[in-house]
Amino acid sequence: MGIQERLIEDVGLRRGVSQLTPEKIEKVVNAVLKGETGARLKTYAETCMRCGMCAEACHFAGSHPGDPSYTPAGKVHQTMSVLLDKKGRVDPDFVYGMAQLAYTECNLCRRCVHLCPIGIDTAYIMSTVRRICHKLGVTPQYMQDTAHSHASTFNQMWVKDDEWTDSLMWQEDEAREEFPGLRIPLDKEGADIYYSVIAPEPKFRTQLIYQAAAIMHMAGVDWTMPAQTGWDNSDMCMFSGDFEMMGRLKRQHFESAQKLKVKRIVMGECGHAFRSVYDVGNRWLGWRWHPVPVIHAVEFYWELIQEGKIKLAKKFPGPVTIQDPCNIVRGRGLQEKLREVTRFLVDGDIIEMHPNREHNYCCAAGGGVINCGPPFKNVRVDGNLVKAEQLKATGVKTVITPCHNCHGGLHDIIHHHKLGMELKFLSDIIYECMEKPEV
Amino acid sequence: MNAAYEFVTGPLAWAAWGIFLLGSGWRLYSMRQLAMKKDASSWAFMDLGFSLRSIVNWLIPFNALGWRKNPVMTVTTFAFHICLIAVPVFLVAHVVLWTEFFGVSYATLPDNVADIMTLVVLAACLVFAGRRLGQKEVAYITTGKDWLALVIVTLPFLTGFLAYHQVFDYQVMIIAHIVAGEIMLAAIPFTRLSHMVFAAFTRAYMGSEFGGVRHARDW
Amino acid sequence: MKRILPLLMLAALVCTSAFLAVQTVMAQDTITKLAPAAFGKLTRPPAVFNHDKHNEKAKLEECVVCHHGGADGKQDKTASTEGTPCSDCHKVKPAGKATSLQRAYHKQCIACHRAKGKGPLACGQCHVR
Repeated sequence: MGIQERLIEDVGLRRGVSQLTPEKIEKVVNAVLKGETGARLKTYAETCMRCGMCAEACHFAGSHPGDPSYTPAGKVHQTMSVLLDKKGRVDPDFVYGMAQLAYTECNLCRRCVHLCPIGIDTAYIMSTVRRICHKLGVTPQYMQDTAHSHASTFNQMWVKDDEWTDSLMWQEDEAREEFPGLRIPLDKEGADIYYSVIAPEPKFRTQLIYQAAAIMHMAGVDWTMPAQTGWDNSDMCMFSGDFEMMGRLKRQHFESAQKLKVKRIVMGECGHAFRSVYDVGNRWLGWRWHPVPVIHAVEFYWELIQEGKIKLAKKFPGPVTIQDPCNIVRGRGLQEKLREVTRFLVDGDIIEMHPNREHNYCCAAGGGVINCGPPFKNVRVDGNLVKAEQLKATGVKTVITPCHNCHGGLHDIIHHHKLGMELKFLSDIIYECMEKPEV
Repeated sequence: MNAAYEFVTGPLAWAAWGIFLLGSGWRLYSMRQLAMKKDASSWAFMDLGFSLRSIVNWLIPFNALGWRKNPVMTVTTFAFHICLIAVPVFLVAHVVLWTEFFGVSYATLPDNVADIMTLVVLAACLVFAGRRLGQKEVAYITTGKDWLALVIVTLPFLTGFLAYHQVFDYQVMIIAHIVAGEIMLAAIPFTRLSHMVFAAFTRAYMGSEFGGVRHARDW
Repeated sequence: MKRILPLLMLAALVCTSAFLAVQTVMAQDTITKLAPAAFGKLTRPPAVFNHDKHNEKAKLEECVVCHHGGADGKQDKTASTEGTPCSDCHKVKPAGKATSLQRAYHKQCIACHRAKGKGPLACGQCHVR
């Protein structure tokens, strides 16, 4: 049992490992351990009593019953514990397995925190393993491609500057047929809201930008989107372990908002991007809180509803279920607002999955796992039988989830298990049900 | 035998308590320094209210998700830790020693209750050992350090029980018991038992993050 | 666990017999255990103490070595109090800072054993089951 018995060929991992020597590994591991870790890692490594209670937490463990190598402590046992015990003296083959495990078998979802009496943050430990892998140059090819894109273009999808503004103007143009007078205001100084999205939206989910513009327009929001880099709030560098680049991305994002003197940043329906902007990137940059206030789309829609700015022509036919995205639930406590928004939009019951809210199971796509690409697709689909059973047990046809990764992950699970369910963003439903002008 | 008894209740006891108290203090202090130096972005979010909120919620059996999902472990570990602390602290024989050496005296447990609680500790140790051997997810991650911690904790209670009931040679057993207890004390700062020193703080940190930043429960 | 009930019964038996022994016969040569009635129900088995044998072995000739006098919390090593039960002066639960009966026994025996480097020190050596 263990990662070495389930290795998957990946060009990025293989090439990275082929350039390693034991000396280089030892040097890099210790540089990270000594230079970048401290009391957290030390106490976690020392006081984990190996009680195994965390096994219950992990969807990977739950989906591979009888295989303890998928449990949170089991994953640490195969990676960080070995690095610490051997003081970094491990061979390149070990690094391959360590990288595959850290990048593809842990979603950094932090559910195990709820199962550990001592409060060990396994996600932090796995992030540190990824950091070491990044510094060793051993990263999955697909994920590294997005990280390269971040480094070259400040967005995740190799979207060129003109393509970005083109996409926005295209969506504005399209939307004006349905909503006369609609604008996607670019670089509007002093706007109330700075709306940022992840690069997959202009790349292949442009309807989400269309919908967001429609909602902003109908709600009468004073908003803007930046024409220059900084518009992409996503961050695969946070997940690949390239924290330097993560810092640059977050700085660019905040600074572009600051330049426009906006009051608040509203982020689209994405979980990992929210984690990077709200929780992680600011710390790397040395900011305790954010130079510009940041809220997630769920909270923004909740506010608009409270203020009576979203008017519905009809309600969405239920019943529905809700997939709680880890990064805005365990990461920001938005579970109740998500339900209140859903109740406002849906006519019919919300059939909960169990467990739910901050005890939810991850989609198995988050934490950069889906970004490791096709070689590892089955790792996350087979690794989330738990979610398939949860979904099936609800018996509903519609799953609402305000997170791109959750969409990607659940999409694959639903198709693999032929569950016949459709996935919706909140903005899909708001757009579908809201009052629209007679044209 | 008198010389041996005098040694283990005298210099060795001072050494054990000294290592335990000074060692724990030093480990806490140096860990705090390290946290401030290397974990500033975590340290900054430590919050007393949220720390206590998390600790209290985890001190209630079957309250946290972790406890609810692991009922056997919950019953075992609560019973174990309560008895583990209460028996040595409130045992008549130990309080008599405090009185003998320092003239201090305080409440005690009836001997037969302490006897049963000792058996609870030993039974819990058996459960822990059984999990390490028989439960896959525990066996997989068990290391020598974990067995060491378990043995260090089991021995004072086993020898104490045997000495109390005067099974085998009493004089040998009582000295073995005292030495075992002293090994346990001295081992606390430097083995897995250091979770006695650090667990409140790792829990407090998680509570602070979840309370202050993530606005979610961590139990 | 199995031992507790018999142990308790044994303790009760010993208590009763000790009680009777102390009450009826004050002659020192019959003392083999220290279990003054004042303690009531005993926590541990009574301390084994054969008065004459002990003194012979310890080469004790002066009664005052153990049977000291004193008042107001001050020990008087010159005033012999043989024949007065310890519990007459040392109460089980004394008022103020006076030495309790249990502490008086423990102090008397263990301190001397420790000073002489001979004789029992640990609980179970006197409180034999």
